[in-house]
Amino acid sequence: MNTFMRWAGFIVVLFIAAPLVIVVPMSFSNASSLQFPPPGYWLGYYRAYFTSVDWLIPTWNSILIATATTILTMALVVPATFALVRHKFRGKGFADLMMLMPMAVPHIVMAVGYYSYFGDLGLVHSHLGVILAHTCLSVPIAFLVLSANLKGFDRNFERAAQSLGASPAKTFLHVTLPILRPGLVISSLFAFIQSFDETVVAIFISGRDAETLPRKMFDSIRQEADPVIAVISTLLFFVVLLGIAAPYFASALRSRAPKPSRPAAAH
Amino acid sequence: MGISLSKLTEKTNIWPWLLLAPLGIYMLIFFVVPLAEVAIMSFTEPKVSLANYQKVLTGALYQRVFLNTFVTAAFVTLCCLLVGYPLAYLMAHSKPRTAMLILLLVTMSFWTSFLVRTYSWMVLLGNNGPLIAFLEMIGFDKPPQLLFTRFSSTLAMVHILAPYMIMNIYTVMKKIDPALIRSAESLGARGWSLFRHVYLPLTAPGIANGSVLVFVICLGFYVTPVLLGSPREQMIAGLIGHQIEEFLAFGLGSAMAMILLVVTLIILTIYHRRFGLDKLWG
Amino acid sequence: MTNYLQLSNITKTYGHFTALDDVSLSVDKGEFVTFLGPSGSGKTTTLMIIAGFEKASGGKVQVGGQSISELAPHERNIGIVFQNYALFPHKTAVENVYFPLQMRGVSRSKGLRQAEDTLSLVGLKGFGHRHPKELSGGQQQRVALARALVFEPSLLLLDEPLGALDKNLREQMQIEIKRIQRSLGVTTIFVTHDQSEAMSMSDRIVVFEKGRIEQVAAPLDIYHRPQTSFVAAFIGESNLIPATITSGAGRTAENSTLGAFQYAATDILADGQKVTLLIRPEHIKLSRNPIEGRKNVRMIVETIVNYGDNALVIGRAGDIPMRVRMLGADVVIIREGEECCISWMPEAVFVITK
Ligand SMILES: Nc1ncnc2c1ncn2[C@@H]1O[C@H](COP(=O)(O)OP(=O)(O)OP(=O)(O)O)[C@@H](O)[C@H]1O
Ligand SMILES: [Mg+2]
Repeated sequence: MNTFMRWAGFIVVLFIAAPLVIVVPMSFSNASSLQFPPPGYWLGYYRAYFTSVDWLIPTWNSILIATATTILTMALVVPATFALVRHKFRGKGFADLMMLMPMAVPHIVMAVGYYSYFGDLGLVHSHLGVILAHTCLSVPIAFLVLSANLKGFDRNFERAAQSLGASPAKTFLHVTLPILRPGLVISSLFAFIQSFDETVVAIFISGRDAETLPRKMFDSIRQEADPVIAVISTLLFFVVLLGIAAPYFASALRSRAPKPSRPAAAH
Repeated sequence: MGISLSKLTEKTNIWPWLLLAPLGIYMLIFFVVPLAEVAIMSFTEPKVSLANYQKVLTGALYQRVFLNTFVTAAFVTLCCLLVGYPLAYLMAHSKPRTAMLILLLVTMSFWTSFLVRTYSWMVLLGNNGPLIAFLEMIGFDKPPQLLFTRFSSTLAMVHILAPYMIMNIYTVMKKIDPALIRSAESLGARGWSLFRHVYLPLTAPGIANGSVLVFVICLGFYVTPVLLGSPREQMIAGLIGHQIEEFLAFGLGSAMAMILLVVTLIILTIYHRRFGLDKLWG
Repeated sequence: MTNYLQLSNITKTYGHFTALDDVSLSVDKGEFVTFLGPSGSGKTTTLMIIAGFEKASGGKVQVGGQSISELAPHERNIGIVFQNYALFPHKTAVENVYFPLQMRGVSRSKGLRQAEDTLSLVGLKGFGHRHPKELSGGQQQRVALARALVFEPSLLLLDEPLGALDKNLREQMQIEIKRIQRSLGVTTIFVTHDQSEAMSMSDRIVVFEKGRIEQVAAPLDIYHRPQTSFVAAFIGESNLIPATITSGAGRTAENSTLGAFQYAATDILADGQKVTLLIRPEHIKLSRNPIEGRKNVRMIVETIVNYGDNALVIGRAGDIPMRVRMLGADVVIIREGEECCISWMPEAVFVITK
């Protein structure tokens, strides 16, 4: 059983790895359509990406929307998480569940809802509309990460601070927030990525004016399979690699174990 | 601030409500209302009736799409399990270095956008791609069409969703006490029977978690089936999108969306009863 | 100054559950008082009420004659050391110690210097720049102590501060804490599970049980003159024998199987009163034959546990389980399963009326 599992495992490794790395050579290809292995190599599509307004604007839109979404999400989720983790009250179980609901609803269903609802409100094809929708979808992830952190937070830190003369406000500022900072950072990061990667709702509501990168990629893949996508994929690949490797290196330096798991979203 | 923390934590006070209010109101306006709108449209577009549901539930096209969606989701889940289990095993029982590298790989895959991975499969399976070239090399004169078929979309979905399965199973495997396995061995369990009667039951919670997650995501999957699948064998999310974008058939689209939603929620409710929903995304 | 800290009729209920029931206590200035009691007996709850983190359901807390019940925790000027130390992980040792001074508006340069001084007092000179996780358990303990002392609190509360340390370090820290407490003269309440710790460190011990105070007394009084059978059983090893007073004036009581007892001098008790007789295992002598001038009883030896320097003999006198402590070297006179004679002087028998 052991040997079988090992061999099967290694084949799966190939299966997982191949599609991740294939975009890298593709991005340097000089073919005008999808061809692998590439007939020749050049940097033309990188130039195309970095000079084309058609690609840069959606990139910028995505960054803008994801940043705003993160800020709004955290502003809403941080107080709510404190309420839900720190207090007992009637209806708490229900509230806990409601926080997770946007994750349980398929995004296509939300997309239909937003398409019609934001149409009524005049929010389709606007940055604001996408931000408002994305915030909703980011809430569960941010909440899960933060509440796990807050549950693990030792109340004695706060008691100690107060016994030492810190008022509740100062305790929050000098003790609670700094100790929770890693949790807040990770929670914000997840909210950001959730928004940055979100495709389905963006396809339906972002329109031309607030077009996000995933929407642009989706359209492009569907229509002409522009090789620039390989460039973007490669860039995203290295961003992710950097993002994952950084904590590994940092932990190797500080020899602390990382926990690279991520709550999933129902795309 | 003269309020003491003990007063803040008294059971009956308005603090939690005050803290919860902004998010609550937000979710009401931007989550509950849009969802309610979908529900309402399914009954009122274009006019008040049950016609949409009647059409969706009895029409041959729709029935075929529903069936296709279920079968595909089940098949993808099964494949993810077959693919994920050995890999999780490898991660859990290799030398730390190997395990770490595989973990890195799976995490990479996990975090890489669905779109990027979908695109990769387009390259791999395309008519000028390596797989076709390989098939030609080993003697296929006219290699079969791989892209835009049920095969390509299923394969890509398995690849995209496998990390969810792997992570769930791996977490459980990691927690298995090696002493337990040793003691089972000392009681005479070996090879297949050790696996069947000891190891597999111990990893069952991870399998359940991963399967529910993969199945549910797959049911509502839009991007990959639309980009890689055959236009003639749509899945439900794709069809909903199609109805809305092409025909502006909000009523029909909403009715299908409601059915998708209800099915998803039923599965998750059963799961919630048994394990608690917050465990699912662990 | 007497009655520096005064708890009057404190009760605390959680729903229908009574965690503290009419707790009253007064502590003198500079005194070292230990709260001792089984898990869940209300020690931490009492501490939290003094510190202001829990609100008492009834009763009041006074320090130096002033009620502090209405003050928020940060206004109470009470230093606390928690079992897990609760050192702020994002601050260095010296910044942790500086924190209470910072909250009191002391300038950074002056405060840090003062913090360094306090760290030296607890024997951590030169460790100030380290973060808590770079310190050993004992060192973290000292930082926590320094942090709780640097602002000259009116009270020092320690909730099982040594619980996480190994035995050697515990003993070292016991001595250390006692030394620092003496030199500063700070009024201290110390919570522990460990009775030997309570015995060795305290001026007085408060024994808690089920939310009530069972007894407040100096360590040796607690040991030799327990007021209740709970205290007798909880502190040290004990043989407890139910009995009835046969002659209050003649100081005799009777147990149905062991017969008549002489007991040590106390107030005269009413004839016929039900009491419990306490005999500490080390006050019992084990021999082959009865000894003149003592109360002698026959015992069947069931188990002998030899610790080397001393040995514990567990047996039965009639239906009453008995424990006897003897020198390890003397234990050879007896074997498990044999019958022997145990005896004691009347002074060894202490009467417990509750
Ligand atoms: N927030 C609370 N809600 C309900 N009951 C509580 C609460 N806090 C404490 N209790 C109960 O009050 C009783 C006293 O608890 P306390 O923590 O004071 O015990 P303790 O003597 O400190 O025990 P230990 O030695 O285990 O620390 C316990 O039975 C506990 O279960
Ligand atoms: Mg306690």
